[in-house]
Amino acid sequence: MIAVLGLVVGVVVGLLVRPEVPAVVEPYLPIAVVAALDAVFGGLRAMLDGIFVDKVFVVSFLSNVVVAALIVFLGDKLGVGAQLSTGVVVVFGIRIFSNAAAIRRHVFRA
Amino acid sequence: MTPMSSVETPKDANGTAGTDMPPAPGPEQLTGRQRLAAGLWPPRVTRAQLTVAGLLFVLGLGLAIQVTSNNDDSALRGARQEDLVRILDELDDRTQRLEDEKQRLDDQRTELETSSDQAEEARRQTLEKAQQLGVLAGTVAAQGPGISLTISDPNSAVEPDMLLDTIQELRAAGAEAIQVDGVRVVADTYFSGAGGDVEVDGRPVTAPYEFKVIGRPQDLEPALNIPGGVVQTLEKEQATATVTRAEKIVVDALRPAERPDYARSSSG
Repeated sequence: MIAVLGLVVGVVVGLLVRPEVPAVVEPYLPIAVVAALDAVFGGLRAMLDGIFVDKVFVVSFLSNVVVAALIVFLGDKLGVGAQLSTGVVVVFGIRIFSNAAAIRRHVFRA
Repeated sequence: MTPMSSVETPKDANGTAGTDMPPAPGPEQLTGRQRLAAGLWPPRVTRAQLTVAGLLFVLGLGLAIQVTSNNDDSALRGARQEDLVRILDELDDRTQRLEDEKQRLDDQRTELETSSDQAEEARRQTLEKAQQLGVLAGTVAAQGPGISLTISDPNSAVEPDMLLDTIQELRAAGAEAIQVDGVRVVADTYFSGAGGDVEVDGRPVTAPYEFKVIGRPQDLEPALNIPGGVVQTLEKEQATATVTRAEKIVVDALRPAERPDYARSSSG
């Protein structure tokens, strides 16, 4: 419950404060958000499976974000930033879908 | 989202994405739905809940920031680099075209201003020329320094040729505009008739003959008064000639501008 509250508070604060994103971080923010979403869905599924460990969640969340940002950064340096971003988003999208399917099976038994 | 892995057995641990969990052996006691409900209510302040809440806070923050910045009105924000380059090229082209057009219009304006200046100058010169020629042709009034000459003729002894001699003398002395009794003297002026019945250009004039002459007074007066000149000749005929200098003589007798019937300009 507190976790859900944290998410809500984060969204509200982000909407109200409208902080200026530093230009250096700006290209990586969308990818980082998608990576974090993937980690959250994975964590939710693990919780429903009964195998959730907070330490694992924290590590996977942070490593997902860092690795995703790193891939995009590397892609930018190699000149294939746009394509690599698309690739990362596709991969995370597939994982989110499969996790969502598992969650659906748990919640709706279907 | 409470940690329950210690008492649960994963159904497919290797399928979980993002959080790879160590397998926790043990009989399954709760369904996923029950675990979800248990995690949501009642709220429990545990370390796991707090860490997850912190991470989710960061996620929500990033999500909101990204959504807000994407909602900016600028259509260019999400545009790809190639599109931006294309748009920039188009803008450059457009700027170039507009610059060219501005240059063209500027040139045109300069040209028009110059030509209108030239036309104005030509018009002014033409007007000036027309005034000068009008003074010579007698179509416009003239004024300036000069003399007035009055010839009284009690015996009707003054012949037309004497008046013509007077005109010639005045012209030789540099007279620029002359009128005799209200008749403008021009290039084709002629004197006819006889003493006491003189006509100028077919119009009768009577004594005293009033000459109004524009010219340099210092030249005109001696030209009439020289020995054997006009004044002495007239006095021999019992006529008197009176010459008066004036700073301002107005020659206002006019004659219509007539187009010559036969003579045409041979230049151009």
